[in-house]
Amino acid sequence: MFAEKACSLIKELSRCEEGLPPYNIELVKEVCTEIKQLHEQNKEDGAIVANESEIAGNVNPLYPTLRIGSAAVKRNIRCLLAYHYNRLRTLRTMRWQFGSILPPDIKTNLSSDEIDWFSKYSSCLGKYMRSIGEDGLNLCLDLRPPKSLYIEVKCLIDYGKFELSDGTVLLLKKDSRHYLPRSECEELITQGVFHHIV
Amino acid sequence: MLPSSSYQPNYFSIEDILATQERTPCKFLQDVPRMGKLNPSAEEKDLKVGTELELPLWLVLDGAAGRQLILAPELPKIYREAYREILKADATAIDLHKFNLYFYELGSYIKHFDRRGDVHNILLHTFTTRFRLIMDLANNADSDPTIQNKLDTLERRLFKDGHNARMKLNTWLLESGIPLKAASMVDNHRKRKRVNEELV
Amino acid sequence: MDEIDIESALNEIENESDDEDEVQISLPEIIQLMEETWLNEKFSPEILPNKMEIVELLLDQITTLETNLKKLNNSDFKKGLYQMEVDRLRFLISSYLRKRLEKIEIFCTAILEQEKLRSQQGKDNYLSQNELQFAQEYDQSIKDNFESVMRFCPGIIETQIISPNIHSMVFLKSKENIDGIVIDDGNDDNDLIDLTTGAQVLIGYKSISNLVKNGDVHLI
Repeated sequence: MFAEKACSLIKELSRCEEGLPPYNIELVKEVCTEIKQLHEQNKEDGAIVANESEIAGNVNPLYPTLRIGSAAVKRNIRCLLAYHYNRLRTLRTMRWQFGSILPPDIKTNLSSDEIDWFSKYSSCLGKYMRSIGEDGLNLCLDLRPPKSLYIEVKCLIDYGKFELSDGTVLLLKKDSRHYLPRSECEELITQGVFHHIV
Repeated sequence: MLPSSSYQPNYFSIEDILATQERTPCKFLQDVPRMGKLNPSAEEKDLKVGTELELPLWLVLDGAAGRQLILAPELPKIYREAYREILKADATAIDLHKFNLYFYELGSYIKHFDRRGDVHNILLHTFTTRFRLIMDLANNADSDPTIQNKLDTLERRLFKDGHNARMKLNTWLLESGIPLKAASMVDNHRKRKRVNEELV
Repeated sequence: MDEIDIESALNEIENESDDEDEVQISLPEIIQLMEETWLNEKFSPEILPNKMEIVELLLDQITTLETNLKKLNNSDFKKGLYQMEVDRLRFLISSYLRKRLEKIEIFCTAILEQEKLRSQQGKDNYLSQNELQFAQEYDQSIKDNFESVMRFCPGIIETQIISPNIHSMVFLKSKENIDGIVIDDGNDDNDLIDLTTGAQVLIGYKSISNLVKNGDVHLI
């Protein structure tokens, strides 16, 4: 059946609810080959149908073949683009959740085009956030309405030095506990460095 | 009839692509040269008029559109009368997931193949009857997670959204504070990493 | 903690410092406008005309408040109170702008086309200048990616533009008495409804999108 491979690409994504499966370059290539072959065949059939319809004035027997052929191309393209589009949307969410640097094991699952796209998106978003108001606004912060000024957090990894906005420098060690202004630690909570203790 | 434009699935929607991949019975109204391979049980080069096949919905939709009909679609069995009767009798007792993973999404295409509107009505009936059940499930904090297995994709999403909202409300009512959390992807990434490290 | 208390407390700070540039609209009024704008954007399926003038007014206020906060002694009980309110206001703005960015990204091509049409007709753009630039760059980056994918067979890319579902249902609250709203549900037999001030209804967005934009109703 046509476009079966293209649909497997989509199934790969749907099985992986969060995160990204490795970029399946082999399958993508196979889908491209199928599209190219169908497209060539359609061009040939299309020429015949167009020519002979003019002469005979009625519909060429190849017309239904052409219809099915072009439906198959359309379907293949839809799946192929949807595969890439949905992967970019996941990368977009990753930019908001991980920040501008992706963990290396996620990066290995990306194509080089995707790595390029990620940095392009990241800089385009950065530029926008810097343009808000007088001195910019980091939209990756203030994700929830504030409930309290200070919160207690536990550090989950050996993070190293962390400077607060008033200049105090903290040494963040694994399992150390801190009582800090919420606004200072929200980003580190999102990135999984801190755990918020309630 | 409902406004035809009230719901348009997104071109890139994974769910819609998977729903339109479902096999749908149809009958060919014309000979189709060189498309014999669409029929796995025959070896001829051309597909003959009158051939009955089950093809992916996307192909059936295309062949049944336009001025020149290439094929005539038929109802998949889960939307036929026998199944509609089962749904009418007690829709809440049905394992809809077993009927089809995309019962509603697929149905919203299939209903156009049925001029009498029976499919349209059964979709509506099934949804409204089962909606209460889903709402009760979602509101019940310790409802059995395996219950989800009997829901179709749309119902699952409603259940999940409803359940999450209920949980958030409960936390807020009890503790009047929602802990700040690691982003969901970051959290999963960390969990996976831990599993991998343990395996090594 | 009482809402009124915070607002009057904030006014106090504002009045201390804002002698030189006169603000015509009071801080509580700005906050109320911002909250309404935020809810409208949150619940409307399509992107709404931007309200950057409110965002900027409020951002200015935040800067002023923060400068004043620095002057207060750390042990001052009021400091925590004000800081909390500043954080709440910043959340309001961030959430509003994030919501807009999400819509801009998803409906990018459709929005850019509408913006182009609006410019041609001499109407105001819905996006701010900076959002427009972001939208163009984002749209281009997706198109570049697609072109790169399809480079093996150039010229056959075809995609459909993703548009918001403007028929989706929304809750609204009316701020005026409005007569004769046409219920546009795609049928020919259009029913009419009247809204009285304060009335709350559930209705298809398409029927009332113009009322949201001109401020006669707001979404809740």
